[in-house]
Amino acid sequence: MEPNEIQTALASAVEEVLETMCFASVLAGAEGAVPPEWDGAAPAFTAELHFEGSPSGGFRVGVPLKLARVVGAGFLGREETEVSDSQAEEVVCELANMICGSVLSRLESKATFQITHPELAPPEHGISFEGAGTNRWFDLGDGILAVSLELQQTV
Amino acid sequence: MELHVLIVDDSPAMRAFIRRVLDLSGLEVGLCLEASNGEEALRLLEDNWVDAVLTDINMPQMDGEELVRRMSGHEVLSLIPVLVVSTDRTEGRIQKMLTLGAKGYVTKPFAPETSREELEHSLGVVHGTE
Repeated sequence: MEPNEIQTALASAVEEVLETMCFASVLAGAEGAVPPEWDGAAPAFTAELHFEGSPSGGFRVGVPLKLARVVGAGFLGREETEVSDSQAEEVVCELANMICGSVLSRLESKATFQITHPELAPPEHGISFEGAGTNRWFDLGDGILAVSLELQQTV
Repeated sequence: MELHVLIVDDSPAMRAFIRRVLDLSGLEVGLCLEASNGEEALRLLEDNWVDAVLTDINMPQMDGEELVRRMSGHEVLSLIPVLVVSTDRTEGRIQKMLTLGAKGYVTKPFAPETSREELEHSLGVVHGTE
């Protein structure tokens, strides 16, 4: 699978999910875990899941706390101030689930995958995707959302 | 027509989203029950009649596949249309759920109009032309 193909699938999947489910738009995006000027160690909700199929692998979504509330508000149809930490966490997990499903169907539309439930890393870990597969970040205006897709080599 | 629905998903956020989308779609939703897995859904269906069930697939305790299988095998519950709402868009999975007895399949992400179209299709609603 070509790296460009994966980047395109990541970009299309994130835009589709954010626009359809969270009524949010992507202003800019590029390859890499985070933009050079952005602090990846800032507190963030990071949801990670694994999938089995052809290919198997892992997927992660990292969203800074403030942006998680903005995205959560769009998803739930509420004001940012009405979105609790646990609701923001749930929405980030749902985003991971939906984006991963969308990416996999774009890369392998005929294959069947088993996707595990997303697990959250402690917010203080920030977003640290370096060296973990194909990374891409997205600027939503209110912050940066980052995704990482790791595909296991099939023999 | 006022629709009574049961939403089955282990994520409270997703249940809230689906409920909101149903409202946005213009459908008249009456009773809106919620369950976090298939077992809970079957318990609710023992005491409540709904016009449609919207269910996820991957859930703890009893998943959507087993829920659809049990409902299809039940004399009364088999009359309730089930619409699957899932991130899994693979052809094999969609075919499997439809073969088990689901009346429709919506892949996440989805727009309000998609859920309305699929629900109406599942319920056999026919629009007249004026």
